[in-house]
Amino acid sequence: MATSFKFKPLTISILLLFLYNAIASSASGSSSTTMHTNNWAILVCTSRFWFNYRHMANTLSLYRTVKRLGIPDERIILMLADDMACNARNKYPAQVFNNENHLLNLYGDNVEVDYRGYEVTVENFLRILTGRHERAVPRSKRLLSDEGSHILLYMTGHGGDEFLKFQDSEELQSHDLADAVKQMKEKRRFKELLIMVDTCQAATLFSQLQSPGVLAIGSSKKGENSYSHHLDSDVGVSVVDRFTFYTLAFFESLNMYDNASLSSLFTSYNPNTLMSTAYYRTDLYQRRLEEVPVTNFFGSVMETIHTDSPYRAFSNRYYRKSKTEMPSDQSGGGNRRALKDLDILEELADPKLNVRPLQSTYLLVHEG
Amino acid sequence: MTEVSAVVKPKPRPIIRIGLFLISHSLFVSIVCCIAGVLALLLLPVLAKNTYISENALMPGSASAMLSTDDASDGHVFVNKIMSISSMSINSGIEIPEMIAKHIIESGGEVNYHKFQPLSDSFHPLQFFVGPDAGMVQDNYSSTSYGVNTVGIVRAPRGDGKEAIIIVTPYNSVKPTTSEALSLGVAYSVFTLLSRVSWLAKDIIWLAADSRHGEHAAVAAWLRDYYTLSSGDLEHEVTSVKRDGVSNGFRRAGTMAAALVIKVADSSTGFEKDGLKIYAEASNGQMPNLDLINIVNYLAVHGQGLQVRVEKIWSLLDSWWLYSLGELQELIGKVAKSLNPGWKFGIPASDYVEGCTTLASSLYNQALGIPTGPHGAFRDYQVDAITLEFSPRFSSSQRVLFLLHVGRLVEGVIRSVNNLLEKFHQSFFLYLMTSPSRFVSVGTYMIAFALLIAPLPLVAAALFSDASKSKSPGESIPTSPAWNWLYTAKTVLIVHLWGAIVTIIPYFLRQFPDSSPLISLLTWIASSAVLLFFTRAASSSLPFSCASQLQTSEWTLLKAVTVAAAFIGLCLMSVINYATAEIGALLLVPMCLMAVPLRIDATAKTAKTVARGACNVLLVFVGFPPAAFLLSKGALSSFDGVRLDDFWNWIESLREWNSATYIYICMVHLPCWVLCIHILLHRR
Repeated sequence: MATSFKFKPLTISILLLFLYNAIASSASGSSSTTMHTNNWAILVCTSRFWFNYRHMANTLSLYRTVKRLGIPDERIILMLADDMACNARNKYPAQVFNNENHLLNLYGDNVEVDYRGYEVTVENFLRILTGRHERAVPRSKRLLSDEGSHILLYMTGHGGDEFLKFQDSEELQSHDLADAVKQMKEKRRFKELLIMVDTCQAATLFSQLQSPGVLAIGSSKKGENSYSHHLDSDVGVSVVDRFTFYTLAFFESLNMYDNASLSSLFTSYNPNTLMSTAYYRTDLYQRRLEEVPVTNFFGSVMETIHTDSPYRAFSNRYYRKSKTEMPSDQSGGGNRRALKDLDILEELADPKLNVRPLQSTYLLVHEG
Repeated sequence: MTEVSAVVKPKPRPIIRIGLFLISHSLFVSIVCCIAGVLALLLLPVLAKNTYISENALMPGSASAMLSTDDASDGHVFVNKIMSISSMSINSGIEIPEMIAKHIIESGGEVNYHKFQPLSDSFHPLQFFVGPDAGMVQDNYSSTSYGVNTVGIVRAPRGDGKEAIIIVTPYNSVKPTTSEALSLGVAYSVFTLLSRVSWLAKDIIWLAADSRHGEHAAVAAWLRDYYTLSSGDLEHEVTSVKRDGVSNGFRRAGTMAAALVIKVADSSTGFEKDGLKIYAEASNGQMPNLDLINIVNYLAVHGQGLQVRVEKIWSLLDSWWLYSLGELQELIGKVAKSLNPGWKFGIPASDYVEGCTTLASSLYNQALGIPTGPHGAFRDYQVDAITLEFSPRFSSSQRVLFLLHVGRLVEGVIRSVNNLLEKFHQSFFLYLMTSPSRFVSVGTYMIAFALLIAPLPLVAAALFSDASKSKSPGESIPTSPAWNWLYTAKTVLIVHLWGAIVTIIPYFLRQFPDSSPLISLLTWIASSAVLLFFTRAASSSLPFSCASQLQTSEWTLLKAVTVAAAFIGLCLMSVINYATAEIGALLLVPMCLMAVPLRIDATAKTAKTVARGACNVLLVFVGFPPAAFLLSKGALSSFDGVRLDDFWNWIESLREWNSATYIYICMVHLPCWVLCIHILLHRR
């Protein structure tokens, strides 16, 4: 079973090969020096019920935006706690709008919902982050990121002081989130993580975060509410939240080649129009926000290296290399890791992996 | 260490010491508590809170109304058709149901007729415990006197069919009035709209109830059949669809989320614009969830600009004492505000009077336990329902506009209830209204009641301890004082048993239907009195009661047990119907607490005892149920029209509606009143 996993991605993907010389230096363990390899997005709508239509619309809007900016569907994990499109109260069956002008149906073709309805639980959410799934969970429902991944985690729902409500029955606490992020860091599941939360008192959700490389932005400070933007009197519900609305407005003018920086996004929030103060936490993040393009998180713009040789030749070369290196070097485990880095069942058992990451072959899946 | 502690008497726990302190000062405590209880009741309009929509899912007014002028004019055409049928000379009462059914089918709904006969009067005294009797299904429609309800159903296109919203329009199928036709027109225009919309999650049932045998009877009959699986149900479902599409089988549509009874008043009295009056009280003072009233009020005021009212007692409105009370509390509020701007209480005097009259009406209607409209039938099945009575300001010229406004309001309420995910449960079920947008919740109004009845157990305990202390040493038969109370308890128990018999006497009196109310009332009173005499004689002649004869001087023990019995009765009643218990406590508590044998007062002959004796006589007179009823009736309207047989009719209506108040009057109030007389006339 495990061996078949190794080669399947090769058959469906365009391969990008980054070959590093195997330098046995332990100093390179810091993630700041690893290359940015790929982008992932986890988009979560945590609330049920028809009157929370806007949360689903928020999430679907973000889904559409990150997809438009280049993150492929297979690297987006979309969690929707309820199905507004098929709700009997929806005046427009099978359609979801985030604006009363109804120009854009967010629930059109090619929406892949990975977790829906009662699958959206705190447990599943934490499993996705930490990568500890049951055996039967398909790959499409897993966060198969690596230590060079940039991850966007967007959450919306009803929250409060240091918690976010899931499904009207349970809560994600700031401790849970911080702990999961810490585990991710230890397991080298990301290089940089942007957590974006649109809920009341969103800032409190970040208070326990400690892991380096994490950037967090919330729609409101402690003691503040986040508000919906406008009511669609035709559908009869509020269709979008203010924070998300202005985030989307910022991104609507961008395409995937724009170089707008994160700081320009963060300064675009006006507390008067937001009716709350957008809060961002940067102390865990090393880079200067002015230098980071938003597409580092919301898009998937990668440096691509064109190779003439088809993948058969590549895999041969690859094998040759593996074969030659494995017996000679203790760091051969790194190769194995690279081969299996998409396999979440693998355990990070080899302690050498922790000191010698990323000095070998990388597979970047870039599905059009 | 152990020796010391053995010598020192252990100090009782603080709660016991507080209890002993209160009991030893029971006179002072009871005066303070009673006054505070009455004051708290009078303060309720000030303590009332503004209503708010508690359930998130409702979102009233968030969707714009879809009912167009075309729908309203369709409704107007429909009204005219009904009026033309109504003006025909020969009318068997089936033409209008047929016409309604035809229109329902045309608009795409399902329809069936529901034939029913009004149930004969049956007394279910404990119905408030067990719910309505669903087992009675009558299949023999013998005469032509049955009524025909027309039931139209719109199925929600993508709903699960498990829930329904009901619109009820009562009308007289033989001779509908213009206002009844208007209410049918409103329901028709909303119904046709709803048959087209795509946002329904709950089915819509339109019940055009035939009110020939009374509005309530028609709705209750339909509900009874709705909740009963009758034998013919299963085959009817499939076979009995006639060629015109009208089914004889009984159509159902899931559990009911809410019901709206739509009525149109004949004339608008006292409204400056189109008015809406909300009736909510169901049997035994049960109220629909406050959220239902809130959304109607919100949509009517903010959406359609109607003037909303709940019932009030008009005659109280210009009473000088209420107004001066209002001014007093306004003054206190102003003084408090000048002392500390943070203290904000006190409302304008006119608001206070309005609040008081509405509160009094709310309290009275709940205490009666008789539903104020056909919505009461729904509450028996735990369905939230209210009656909306619209008063058009314009007589006939602007009917389309009226239909448009009212139709949009009904549509808005239905759309809001349609958003509901569960039963109404967020807001209050126990409340009193002081205006359409202000209410007093159970937590507040129970304070007044609790203060009022708090002295009862204290006084009972104080009297008991007095009686056991003051035992004279020269008692012929030394009996344990702890057991003395059992003899008096026996007396109290017998009187309460007598009360139970009095409760069922009117049932036998009804076997003579020809007697006038006055004669029935007098027979009832006379037979009760005779029965009381006999039970008293029988109980004293029993052999084991000889010991009690020795204790007859112990009136304090009798009073203690009476007070305890009154306390238990009032507490039980407050669980069943708060309003009855509150009004009952206002009468019963002073009477029971004051009762002292007149002979003692007469022998002492000080000003205090004479005043006390006079008070006792007055309280006992007022405490007699017919006297209390007639006095309050006279005080509210005028004494000219007050007749004794009104009381019989009132009691009969309570009995027919299975009101718990009737049982309270006969089994708690009356025995306590008799016992108080017994104490007053005690030989010392």
